[in-house]
This record gives sequence, C-alpha cells and structure tokens, in this order.
Amino acid sequence: MEVTDLAAVSRARSGDSDAFRLLVEKHSRVIFRVAYRMTGNEHDADDVVQETFLRAYKQLDSFEERANFSTWLHRIAVNCSLDLLRARSRHDKNSLPLTDGRDDEEREVEIVSSDPQPDRLLLSAELQKHVAAAMEKLSGNERTAFVLRHFEGMPVEEIGKTLGIQVNAAKHTIFRAVRKLREALEPLVRPNPCNT
Amino acid sequence: MQHLTEEQLVAHYYHDDDAPAAAASHLLECPDCRAQYETIRRVLTLVGDAPVPERGDHYAEEVWTRLRWKLGARRRRMQWTSFAAAAAVLAIAFFAGVWWHSRGSRTAPSNIANNKGPGVVQSVAATSQASDRVLLVVVGDHLESSERMLAELANANPKQTFDVPSDRAADLVASNRMYRQTAATRGDRRIASLLSDLEPILVELSHAGKTLSPDELGAIQKRIESKQLLMKVRVMTAQPAPPPSNSNSL
Repeated sequence: MEVTDLAAVSRARSGDSDAFRLLVEKHSRVIFRVAYRMTGNEHDADDVVQETFLRAYKQLDSFEERANFSTWLHRIAVNCSLDLLRARSRHDKNSLPLTDGRDDEEREVEIVSSDPQPDRLLLSAELQKHVAAAMEKLSGNERTAFVLRHFEGMPVEEIGKTLGIQVNAAKHTIFRAVRKLREALEPLVRPNPCNT
Repeated sequence: MQHLTEEQLVAHYYHDDDAPAAAASHLLECPDCRAQYETIRRVLTLVGDAPVPERGDHYAEEVWTRLRWKLGARRRRMQWTSFAAAAAVLAIAFFAGVWWHSRGSRTAPSNIANNKGPGVVQSVAATSQASDRVLLVVVGDHLESSERMLAELANANPKQTFDVPSDRAADLVASNRMYRQTAATRGDRRIASLLSDLEPILVELSHAGKTLSPDELGAIQKRIESKQLLMKVRVMTAQPAPPPSNSNSL
C-alpha cells in the first residue's frame, strides 16, 4: 500500500498531477476526519483538508521516501489545524460561550435525569456539546496528541515525532488530555443511582 | 498493595504501558483501581462516540476539483511571470512617459539647464505622486468591480446555490494579476498585498463552473470574512487619491 503512495509521490514530483490526484482521493476522507476532530467544525475541517494538500504539494520535494506518506500528511494536517485554531482563538475572543446560560449543575441534572421517556436526540446533542466543550479546553499539543492516539490509533512514537517531542513527553501529553477530559466529563458518565 | 496511578491507568487503556500483564492482574484484584479504570474507560468511550459529519460519496473528487485549480495556478505562475514581465515593462514605459511629461511641463528652464540642482528632486517627487494617482485611479476601477462581486458573494444566501459570473471573474483575475505585478514592481506594498489576498478568490470563482454549491459558497464566504477582504477593498476604494502636486513649488 505504501509502495503505491511512494510511487504516486515520485510521479507527482515529476509533474504528474494525476498521481497527486490519487493521493488526494486516497487520503482526503481520513484527513477530513482528523481535521474535524482537531477543529470541531465542519467548514474549518474542509478548509484544513484543502490547505493540507496544497502544502503537501508545495513541500513534496521535502518528503523523505523512507518516511510514511500518511504520517507526513497527518503532520501537515495537524499543523494546518493548529494554525487555524490559533487564528480562531485570536479572532473569537469575544464570541459567545458554548453554554446557554444555565449552570453545570442544572445541565447535569438534565443529563442524568431518570425521566422514563427522555428525548434521546436532545440528550445526545447535549452530550456532544459537552464533549466538544471539553475538547476545546485542551491545549493544541494535548488535543493533537489525544486525537492522534485515541481516534487515529497512532503509536506514541509517531505522535512524538509529529509534535517534535520525546516519547515520554508525548505519553504525558496524552495523559494530561485524558485527565482534563475526565474532569469535565466524569459527572456525565457516573452510573445512574436510580438504575442501581 | 500499591495502587496504579491515573497515568498508568491511561497508559494501560491505550496499551502503552511497560508492564501490561502486571497492571491487568492488579486491576483484577483491586476494586478501587478497577473503578478508576472503569471511569476513564467510560469517559473515553463517550468522547469516542462523538460523530464526525458524513462527507458525500464524491468528497475526494470535490476536494480535487477545488485543489486542481490552485495547483494549476501554481504551474501557470511561470507562464504568468513572462506576461507580468511584459506588463511591468509597459508600466515602466508608461510611468516614464508621465515623468517625462511632468518634467517637461513643470521644470523651470534653469533646472533643465542645470539638472543637478534641487529641481530634479522636486520633479521626481511630483512624478511619483502623479504615478500614484494614476495607479490608484486605474486600480480603483478594478477594486470597485471586485468589491461588487465580493458583496454579491458575501450577501448570498448560504443555504442556496450561487450563480457564478465566471466571465466577469476571469476578467478580474487577468486585470488583478497585472495590477498586482505593477504595484509590486513600484513598491506599493499595500495595494500589492490587497490584490494578492483578492486573487485566490477570483481564481476560484473563475474556475468554479456555473454554480457554487451551498458548501462551496459557505467556504468562500468564510474566507472573505476571515481575511476581512470586503472591508479592506472598501477602505482602499474609499481612499482619496493623493492631491495633485503644486506646480508652483517647482
């Protein structure tokens, strides 16, 4: 499989745009998924996908053939996402918070409610909001390390390379991300006492 | 019995621990650690369940279609360089003509006789202002046309398709490239930078086909907004041209 990627890269380097097209077709969905997990926004993720392939094309000459193209592309996507997140945080400092004015306790009551006929869709949307809010609290490195480990199953060594840090530091970054997520989301996953 | 730390539990969850068998064995024996591990597992399952929006069957194709023009633009840049060089030569010839005319009509005969005097400096300054005015006036028309197109895009309903005036966009791309090169050659960074921001949008429109889908429209609207393009164009077009130089001072 990787041979195919390498062959396509080699042809694309010599100006064969159809070869680059193969790479785009093969990897665009995966890159969208990573970008969405990183940015939490569909349109931003689409922009990241475009920017990732554009940067990849411009930097094809710097791609080392002994490397894994997919990992290399992931790294570019992560950098594009981080650039976008940084730009967004500068731009959105005055934007409205994700919450709708109710306090956490009130929300928690709603979520763990033992209502016999809960609106499952509403509940699911509410949980997603909480998850998105918790993810937003992660730093760029934490988010990257977590997304790559949890969703992409990338080995810690590769994550370290992607972030430019040591393996142990990468492990610790993943742990910090999980701890933050746990702090934010633990109340939502407590077993319902009414059911015990 | 020594409990597992939270970090060890997380590492165990991801199979990143150095002694997985020992951790597994401890979890079987220790209800406290098992409870902690179960909480971590539940949280991570909840996070993992968050869905990713579906992309259509033709997503890869759509990505490629949009990308192709950008990559093509890069390849064509070499061809445009020749065109830009020709445009730059024309622009230099034009501004030299303006300068020559200004020099002939404004410079006192004594300064012509003695072209090492301060009159030369003044006439060069006057020439620069004159050419500034010419560039701003000429680019002003282009910016006004671009502003109209950006406004149409920015105000379009993002839930509907958008009919692309691709011919107009193609004309604007051609003139934008020429003015950008001219402005860069003349060292007018402000105009060059604005035109440089404008160009990708115009290129995309000129190659977009007859209509933009709501997604494509939304993406372009977002780019226009994030770069504050419409506002920058409006500010530039609203800017008065530099006042005419005072010929009495010469």
